Parts: sequence; structure tokens; C-alpha cells
Amino acid sequence: MLKKDLISKSPVSKTIGFENITDGKFGAVLSRAGVGKTSFLVQIALIRLLNNEKILHVSLDDPMEKINLRYKEGFSNLIDYIGYIDPQKAVRLWEDIKLDKVGISYTEASFDTQKIRDYLKSFKKAGLVLPSIMIIDGLNFDNDVSNILEELKSLNQEFSIFVWFSMKNHREEDLCDNGFPIQLETYKDKFDKAVLLQPVEDKIEAIVLKDGDRADQKIKLNPATMMIIE
Amino acid sequence: MIRDLERVRNIGISAHIDSGKTTLTERVLFYTDRIHKINEVKGKDGTGAVMDSMELEKERGITIASAATYCEWKKHNINIIDTPGHVDFTVEVERSLRVLDGVVLILCSVSGVQSQSITVDQQMKRYKVPCIAYINKCDRSGANPVKVSEQLKEKLGHNSVMLQLPIGLEDKHEGIIDLVSMKANYFEGDNGEKVIIKEIPADLMDEAEMAREEMIDAVSLFSDELTDAILEEKEITEELIMTAVRTGTIARQMTPVFLGSAYKNKAVQPLMDAVINYLPSPLDIENEAIDLDNNEESVILESVFDKPTVALAFKLEDGQYGQLTYIRVYQGCINKGDTLINSRDGKKMKAGRLIRMHSAQMEEVEAIPAGHIGAMFGVDCASGDTFVSPQINYTLLAMHIMEPVISLSIVPKDNKAQINMSKALNRFTKEDPTFRTYVDHETGDTIIQGMGELHLEVYVERMKREYDAEVETGQPRVAYRETITRKALFNYTHKKQTGGAGQYGRVAGFVEPCEEEFEFINKITGGRIPTQYIPACQKGFKGCMDKGPKLEFPVTGIKITIDDGAYHAVDSSEMAFQSAARGAFLEAYLKAKPVIKEPIMKVVIETPNEFQGGCMGLINQRRGIIQGSQEEGVMSVIESQVPLADMFGFSTVLRSATQGKAQFTMEFSTYKQVPQSVSEEIVRKKQEEKKEK
Repeated sequence: MLKKDLISKSPVSKTIGFENITDGKFGAVLSRAGVGKTSFLVQIALIRLLNNEKILHVSLDDPMEKINLRYKEGFSNLIDYIGYIDPQKAVRLWEDIKLDKVGISYTEASFDTQKIRDYLKSFKKAGLVLPSIMIIDGLNFDNDVSNILEELKSLNQEFSIFVWFSMKNHREEDLCDNGFPIQLETYKDKFDKAVLLQPVEDKIEAIVLKDGDRADQKIKLNPATMMIIE
Repeated sequence: MIRDLERVRNIGISAHIDSGKTTLTERVLFYTDRIHKINEVKGKDGTGAVMDSMELEKERGITIASAATYCEWKKHNINIIDTPGHVDFTVEVERSLRVLDGVVLILCSVSGVQSQSITVDQQMKRYKVPCIAYINKCDRSGANPVKVSEQLKEKLGHNSVMLQLPIGLEDKHEGIIDLVSMKANYFEGDNGEKVIIKEIPADLMDEAEMAREEMIDAVSLFSDELTDAILEEKEITEELIMTAVRTGTIARQMTPVFLGSAYKNKAVQPLMDAVINYLPSPLDIENEAIDLDNNEESVILESVFDKPTVALAFKLEDGQYGQLTYIRVYQGCINKGDTLINSRDGKKMKAGRLIRMHSAQMEEVEAIPAGHIGAMFGVDCASGDTFVSPQINYTLLAMHIMEPVISLSIVPKDNKAQINMSKALNRFTKEDPTFRTYVDHETGDTIIQGMGELHLEVYVERMKREYDAEVETGQPRVAYRETITRKALFNYTHKKQTGGAGQYGRVAGFVEPCEEEFEFINKITGGRIPTQYIPACQKGFKGCMDKGPKLEFPVTGIKITIDDGAYHAVDSSEMAFQSAARGAFLEAYLKAKPVIKEPIMKVVIETPNEFQGGCMGLINQRRGIIQGSQEEGVMSVIESQVPLADMFGFSTVLRSATQGKAQFTMEFSTYKQVPQSVSEEIVRKKQEEKKEK
């Protein structure tokens, strides 16, 4: 019951929709530095964790401890958002779901999809349930990442794992005519979902850039917690 | 023993197995006149090196127990602990590092930084021990000391600075160039004992000058005088460089690198000079103790002789003259006949014979002053105990001792072996805190526990060789537990009338899961069970915890509340209520949905990056949960939780999956309920075992 409540109140359910998260191959959360890409990605991962799925979080920026901390914070924000919950119950739920999350920290230079492939293969070998989504946080889309995307596409096909990326755009760059930042425009055909986070006054506006019917939907978020402002 | 502590060094020699630690130590002892003939580790004459005093060590060519020895070099007193290299014996390395002031880290010039070097390095960091590096085996084919020095930076994060260059490598290795004095050193005589100092060969001069410049640049960070001298283009003296290197080394901010070939007797003497010049004396190191009489506040110990004595027993050996206790004195002085207190149990003892060790030979001394390492005879204590003067109550910080992770049953082959085995176990458990033993009351088997398969294997071998105790070993075992998952009621009457006085007792209440091992709550009112029988009830329940009714594993996490009962004025007794409690426990236990719990280990793997995915896969295949993975330079660290039952043989699997380049540490984390499928397997095995009995 608690899990369902949390899923329904998640900012992700309200923007992209719970089912939509894993519908396709690639998704991206875009924003300028420091707006909240990682926090939003964590919320994406959390609702799948709450659905008893496994997730893989690969960070090219944060060390392992920081990844873990971000998840704990994201979970607390969600718990606080839905109001009073027996703290013991919340702790038990966290203890339960956190085991399904694996955080891997690479540097940009050492990031290698082969290592991820080796890891995912071992799930198959051991007859285990595979992670449903993989978050890749910190990949620099200002560089040519087409090879990496190709390799990740093959991972997606082989292991049915949806990949969500963080994509950093820049203040000085204008948006393209279709409203896409240039980083997304370059690879737009590869992406099924995209959400742009933009600071508007003292709030964050989440704009769905790519997601079929939901495109152009806008929702206001609290910049501190990434929860919806009613 | 020298009382000028400036001229004392307590050092360890640490490295990966087969890097040549023992070979190097033999050379040191030879050049310092402690021995008159060099024995190779696996000498053709079958003698074995002096430091490898145990039979088994001589045969395997590895050093198992730390052998302490001392020597004198250029009016300095050097105490050396030779440490074992294999990962399963790291408690020995850890105990040594705790009492040492500096370490010579030996690396092979061909293999470079290996897994054990990484383990040793972590331990050095934990105990903040400064080190210098010696790149050995420069005579070997493929030797590349410059590469190894780079690996020290990349793999271990050391600020390594080469203070020497080789004159020739592989079979052309002749000597070294000392970049501080800018002289070439050659080693002549049958055992390289004659150090010949010459000018640097012309063809190496440019390389040497460049290397010196780089070295001075790196070292200047630790000395303002040296920096000034460079900026003002003054003469850079040897003293200026040496002072800067010493400062950087003691602060653990740089690792000076030396090289040579111990086996070919090349460049051991300059390394000994380096020990004196760059490693700290006891005066350079700050040691702390805890004052038990003053809110456990930490106290800084002073390496002076006139203060109350504080000493640490870091190793025990049971020799032919009784127990030999190796100690390091941190403050004061232990004189023959002094009264000391063991701060662990407060027991008084008298210091009897004091000795200093030279491997298996001993030399009697009158006193062991602060800053020195020595040994005492006839003291009953455990490894890690602190000895203090009667007027103080300090304890030295406890050493980081790991919990045993593996157990094996051993059965002596005959009666003689049985007696000898007890003697052996008694000695081993006193010597090694990570080796434990107990008797399984049910099977009658003796169980030994330790840090790894090889660890136990060596003890089994030692039993055979040193004590003539041949034993058969069983399969490694996991310590499972039972617990309940829900509340269940009981109401049990124990009634027996078999002639004479009868037995009567009734207990009622409930059992429920709890966090504690065992909790007993008495809610009896109105004297339904008289107070004098309550402890008997508790005893009866507690007695059931040793062996669970489900699978006979120990039971934990049970809270028992009794709230009703009945007694008989004549037939009730303590015995009757104990029996009633046992019956009540059995009645409620199976209703409370018992489950099996298994130990879950925190397993941390360190692997070169290229094997990260594969190593994470190995964890997955073992019912493990990966908590995360992090790259640190060229290595990846994988943190995970894995059931102990699936960790047997893991070191072999990991080695073969990573070409021997990965290593792992494992420590107990928690107990968790086993999954249904595994539980069924355990039940099946247990039933088979019962049938066999």
C-alpha cells in the first residue's frame, strides 16, 4: 500500500508516467548544471525500486557513497511529501528496496560498456532478474557519444534494459526551434523520452520534450526536494 | 640495548609472497655480523634461512610466523620483524605493524605492485607507518624498477621518489647510482660485502643528472632550506637532501625508492643506510594509550625511561622453555624482577627472564627500555595485552583483530594424536587471536576457526609436524542460526508421577521475535508460580536456545513472556519448572514459524578495472548483493554482501577470473534469513547427516 502511494505521488508519475519510464530504449533528463538532473533521475529509479524492480545507477561524476546518499535523500523527500508515515515502516521499506539498487562510479575515461555487459551477463548466467533500468549520469553530450549510444543500444536489446541519461545543456546556448537543447537535437532520433528541467523564478519547471502524447506537459517542482508543487 | 633512542629503529619488512623478504633479511643479518653464513630460502643444503625458524616455513619457502631479530648497523640498533606475505596470515602482518615505527616495502622489479603489496599498504595506512621501498630482483629477466616506482604512484597512491638508479639490469645488473651522493656503488667479495664507491660511468652520467634533478625537485617540497638553496643556486649538500627526504618519509608524504638484488648481494648495504637515515626512530613517532582510570581519555606516551612503564604483548610463542612473550616497550623500562600489571585483567606479574631475539636464538638482557622490542619468559597473557607499572592503568589501543570466517572439524587419528592435538591447539589459540577452537558437544568433534582455508591448512600441518598430531579434517562449515518470525502462545503442564515425589509445573505465556539474542519477561502475578521457581523457568527456556528444535542450530532473537502458571505444594520443584519451560518452548516454537538465518559477509573486492564487470558477476552468482562499485585509479573497489555459505573457494575463483590480480577482504556483517530454496537444501543435508550418525 505504502509503495503504491509513493509511486502515485512521485513527480515522475505526474510527468512521464510510471509505465512510460521503461517504454522504449533511451530517455534523457536535461538541464543546466546544478538544476537537479540527478535528483530527478533518482526519482525515476526510485519508483521502479518501489515496484520491486532492480536498477543500476552508473555515475561518471559522483563516488559510490554520494550515489547512495542521493538515493536516501530522494526517498526521504518522497516520504516527507506524502505526509506522516510510521518512521519504522519507512526505514523498513528503505532497507528493503535499497538492496535492489547498484551504484557504480566510473570516471569519464574509464567508462566502458563492456564492463556493464559483463556484469549484466552474470545476471543471466545466475538466472537472476535483470535490472529494468540503468541510469547513466554524467556522460558528456557535448562530445561525440554516438559510439557509446550504439553500444548501449545493443545492451538495451540484449538485456531489455531501458537507459536514462542526464544531459547537460548550457546557459549561453539557445534552444533549437523545436524547443530542444542542442545536445538532445543531435541525438533526438535515438531518444524516446526527454524531460527538460528549467528554473522559473524560485521553482523548477519540468517540461516533457519527448514522450508521445505527453509532450509539452509542464509541471512545477520544488527545487529543494524535486517534489511537485500543487 | 642502546638507550640513545635516536639510534634505534624498529622496522618491518613487508611484501608480497616470494618478493624476497627473507632473502633480504638474511643479507642484512650477514652484513651486520649476526650470522656468518648466508642460507638461501630453499637452500640446497636443506638448511633454510635463519629467519624461517619453523620447519614448515623452511620447506615451503614462505615465512609463517614473525620472527623478531635485531642487529647493529653503523652504531644503530635495528630491531627487525620479518613478516609473512600470504593474505591468510595478515594478522601477523597487522600485529607487526602495530609495534613498528617504519617498514621496508619490498617489491619485485618484474612483478611490480602485487595484491599483497596492496593489502600491506592498506595496513600501513591504518597504523600510519612510514615506509621506504626496495625494488628487489633487479637481476631478473624483465626487471624494470622505473615502472615499479610508477606503479607505487598509480596503484598505491604513494609519492614515490627514486633515490637510486640501476647500473645495468637483468644479468648485467652490477650496482647502483646513489643520486644523493652522485656516486656509483658496486658490491664485491663472495657475498657482496665490500662496497666499492666509484665515479658514475660516463654513459650513465646524463641520465643520473636528470634523475637527480627530478628527485631534488620532488624532495624540495619538504624542506624550505633546500628550496632556498635551489632558488639561490647555492650548493645542494647531501645533508640538505637527506633531511628533506627524512621529513617527507616520516610524514608519510613521500616514499623514497631504493633498488638492487638481495639474492645477488647487490645494494643491500645502501638500503640499511636508508633505514637509519630515513625511517623514524621511536622518538619521531607519537604513540597513544587509553587511561582507564580517567574516563578512557587518550594519553600520549613518551619514549623516556623514568616514567611508568607501558608495554604491549604483540606475539606469543610456546617454546621449549615455556611461553615466550614478545613485547614492545612504549614508555619507561622493564627491568628484570620488575612488578607489572596486565591491564586487561589487573593481574600482577613479575618480569622474569628478559631476552632479545635473534630468530630462534636468544640473548639474555637485563632490561628492555622504551622504544625497544624484546621478549619475556614465564608470563601468562594473551596477545594484545598491555603491561603497565602498578601506579598507572593504561591500555594501548586494541589491535584490529578480524573475526574468524571459516571453520573445520578435525578428528585426531589416534589417542596419541588426541593428546598432542590439545597441546597444539592450546598453543596456537594463544599465539594467534584469529585462530579459535571449540568442541561441538553434539558430534564431539573439535572445530577450528580461522581467516581462510590456507590459514587452517597451515595449522593442521603444524599440528602434524610440531606436535605429531595427525588429524582428519571435515568440510568447511557455516554457523547457521534459527529464529522465529511471529508470536505464538504456550501453555504447558509438566506432570510426572512415577513413584516417590512427583513432578509438577505449568507455565503459560508467549514467544515473539526480538532484536536481542534472548529476552525473558516475567509477568506472573498473584504467586501463580512462586518467585523461587522463576529463575528455573528462565533457565529452562535459555537451555533451549543452544539447539533449536527445527534443525538444531543455535536459536537467537527470541523474547519469552510468562504470564500464567500453576504449582503444586509438594510436587513442584526447580527441576519440574525447568522441564515445563522446555516443554513450553517446544510447544510454541514450531507455531512461531521458525526460520534459518545465515551469516552474511561484507565482501570488498579490489580488482584492476578491466575485471570489474567479471568480479561483479562472481558476486551475483553467489547470491550476493552488490552495494556499489567505485574506481580508484587503475583499481576498482566493489562492495557487496554475500552469504558465507557461498564464499568457500572464492579466493581460487577470484584468482582465476582475474589472473591473480584481484583480492578481497571479508568480514561478518549480519545474520539474515535464508531463502526458501536454500533452507530446503540445508534441511536435506541436515537430515542426511542425522542418518549417517
